Amino acid sequence: MIRRAWYAAKSWFSQTWVDIKESTDAGLLGGARFLGLLYGPIDRRLRIDEALRKMLGYRLDPHVGWRQMFGGITYVLFMILVVTGVLMALYYRPSVQEAYPSTQHIVSNVSFGWLIRDLHVWSASLIVVAVLAHMARVLLEAAYKPPRETNWTIGLLLLGVILAFGATGYLLPWDQWAYWTVTEVLVAISGFPLVGGLIADTLMGDVIVSGATLSRFFSIHVIVLPWVSLALLSYHFTLVRRRGIAPPVHVEEQSVGRRRRGAPNPQQHQSADDGSQQGVRFFPTHLLRSLSVTVLVLAIAVTLAVLYPRPFGPPANPLVVPHELVSTWVPVDVSLALLRYLGIWGFIVFTLLGVSLVLLPLFDRGPERRIRKRPVVAVLGLLFFGGFVVLWLVGRGIGSLPPSEGIGQEARQERVVPGERAAPLPRVGPARPAVPSDSAAGERGNTP
Amino acid sequence: MTGTLLALGAALLVGAAPAAPTTGWAPQGLAAQDDSAYGCIICHADKRRSFTLGVHSDYGIRCDDCHGGDPTAYEIDPAHRGRFLGTPTKLEIIELCSVCHADPNQMRQFGLAADQLAEFRTSRHGQLLLEQGNTDAPTCTDCHNAHLILPPEDARSEVHPTNIPATCGRCHEDAQLMAKYGEPIDQYERYRTGAHGIGVFEKRNFASPTCIGCHGSHAALPPAVTQIADVCGRCHLLLERAFYQGPHGGPARSGTLPGCLGCHSNHGTERTAPEAIAALCVRCHEPESAPALMGVELQEEVLRATEELHYAADAIEEMVEMGHEVADERFRYQSAVSEYNQIALVQHSLNFERLEDLGLAVRSNTGIIRATAEVHAEEQWEHKLLLIPVWFLTLAVIVLAWFKLREEQP
Repeated sequence: MIRRAWYAAKSWFSQTWVDIKESTDAGLLGGARFLGLLYGPIDRRLRIDEALRKMLGYRLDPHVGWRQMFGGITYVLFMILVVTGVLMALYYRPSVQEAYPSTQHIVSNVSFGWLIRDLHVWSASLIVVAVLAHMARVLLEAAYKPPRETNWTIGLLLLGVILAFGATGYLLPWDQWAYWTVTEVLVAISGFPLVGGLIADTLMGDVIVSGATLSRFFSIHVIVLPWVSLALLSYHFTLVRRRGIAPPVHVEEQSVGRRRRGAPNPQQHQSADDGSQQGVRFFPTHLLRSLSVTVLVLAIAVTLAVLYPRPFGPPANPLVVPHELVSTWVPVDVSLALLRYLGIWGFIVFTLLGVSLVLLPLFDRGPERRIRKRPVVAVLGLLFFGGFVVLWLVGRGIGSLPPSEGIGQEARQERVVPGERAAPLPRVGPARPAVPSDSAAGERGNTP
Repeated sequence: MTGTLLALGAALLVGAAPAAPTTGWAPQGLAAQDDSAYGCIICHADKRRSFTLGVHSDYGIRCDDCHGGDPTAYEIDPAHRGRFLGTPTKLEIIELCSVCHADPNQMRQFGLAADQLAEFRTSRHGQLLLEQGNTDAPTCTDCHNAHLILPPEDARSEVHPTNIPATCGRCHEDAQLMAKYGEPIDQYERYRTGAHGIGVFEKRNFASPTCIGCHGSHAALPPAVTQIADVCGRCHLLLERAFYQGPHGGPARSGTLPGCLGCHSNHGTERTAPEAIAALCVRCHEPESAPALMGVELQEEVLRATEELHYAADAIEEMVEMGHEVADERFRYQSAVSEYNQIALVQHSLNFERLEDLGLAVRSNTGIIRATAEVHAEEQWEHKLLLIPVWFLTLAVIVLAWFKLREEQP
């Protein structure tokens, strides 16, 4: 009896399980069929499948490897900045009253807001280092030489965009350090001959760093620069594909001439379609390398964000100059070290050194790519990139500098309200009578 | 001959510039003074300069109102004839000023008191000058200046709060002069470094008293021993009340204790630091006596509350640095500070039950602040635990990728 009941129950359960499985399979199949119905016509037009297969079967130049990772790291960090920036923009409010409290809200109340914010802060620093490492690799391997000199220029513009991102983002926390560091920088800019005052006033939008400045910096940070960087990045990547990645210095480039639009790259091992078995496979080799580097970069950024969160200064106060300006960004760290140990001239010389690298492709256009044969480039590059790393570490050790003396008064008194002309002062000429004084009256009175 | 030349000079001056110089401003209803035909300024131009900067010239008062003489004359002798007073003596000055300043009918329009002379008679200065004829004592112009007479609210005035100590110090820092009366000369220096001096000179807090705040101005006299607590109590109202409620109040009333000065001194008035309370008590009480032990207990309670406030302030600073909103904590801190300030009252009334309550109230507020900070610090530590899964996953991906890449290598 028991045995019969057991078998009956077992058979009922197994039948139910089979039914469930079949219905699930049928559901999945139905879903797949439905998608297939959609996918078929789309794919016939867009040929996604073919493109995907082509992409997976794509082969990179055989020399492409770990050395090229800094460009990829820069892109990963850029994407981290985009994602965390968008997430923060959901809560951040760019006004004098709300900027500081909304940042506090992000850090203290929003789920994982602290991580997102510090990831953004650290990525903004790391991306500068990654870009410079990428530049150093390009410089040492002479990858800036024709036919890739345009891409070097685009890369430099991208570096400028990244620095502009950092500089405009620096003000957004609206604490005392951000406020007074930006004031210092704008006062320094206004000191440049001819255009300095105009640039500083345009950026500031007021007689002091104020809500107008915050609005300007915010809109540049989240509207202007993303579009500019999108355009430049697209062009940068297109040129990487079209000109190919520079081979190692000991390998002679097969063709250094410019190819016409659409002409095949002789360096490039196009795809599995041509049957070539040379080069590095995009899938899985290159993708796995990229994945490894991506997760490593992400882990490093998260670790730094968790262990060294950016501290908050007191809320910005234009009436009180703080005792110290704490640095929270790599270029500011470097500037701190330069100003502390080498003074303003050290800062100027180091900046000129960087500018000399920018102009390098204009002068160094010969075919020689070995670094030993390019001693000037080697020395300049080593000085700048090595110096940058050393200065960064030293600057982080310093941490803060007291603000310049009289910065508060200077900011308040010496600026002119843009758009408002001061009333002209009356001219004091020889015709204007002197105001008689008492003593003069007495003397004249005694004169016969 | 000189007189003729002067007359000629004045005539030339008047003829050459009939409209100038005049004072440019006058109260409504009064014509601006025309000095062009005024003889005194031919020689005394410097006096005119300072006098016209002062308040009296605005109301039509002229040189001859105080000094006499004939201002219409352009020669020395005729100018100095008639009811000519020249430089008045100290007593004459008091008489001259009193003509207007002791007349309520004249002073009413300016909202000024007319009792300065009456007050001056009661002061030590007045006693010396008016009763004994001692000209060491100051007269009106010694403090208010003879010609450049400015209202006390004018920062250039010698009786402006920031200038009063120096004005008094002109005599009271004069060692030779003060030696005659056996007076010390360090009051100004002690005042400057004391709590009230810091209030006036550094914090620009003009509610903080200068010399006249305690001694009076025209009726200047040192307060009697039994009056000291009342003098201080004019500003420190609650402390005075607490002091009279406590065990020291009775002796102070009877004059056996020097009131507030027993602990705070007079010119170099200082707050007693929390760690110096017990030492202050043993200045009068035996070291192991009950009052001295009460002093120790009081000191410990105050020190504990002070320490708690410091910890709470540090905790708030830490939370600000971590990016937390601290409006609630700041409110609690302010509550703790106001309770802490009430401990100062207890220090004077020596009501130990109240002291215990206040100490508890301070600690409960600061305790909540510190607990909140600890929770946030704990949260920040917990954030670090996130690194374990992050690095586990990262290394797992890298290791797996490594194996796969090795397979891929030809």
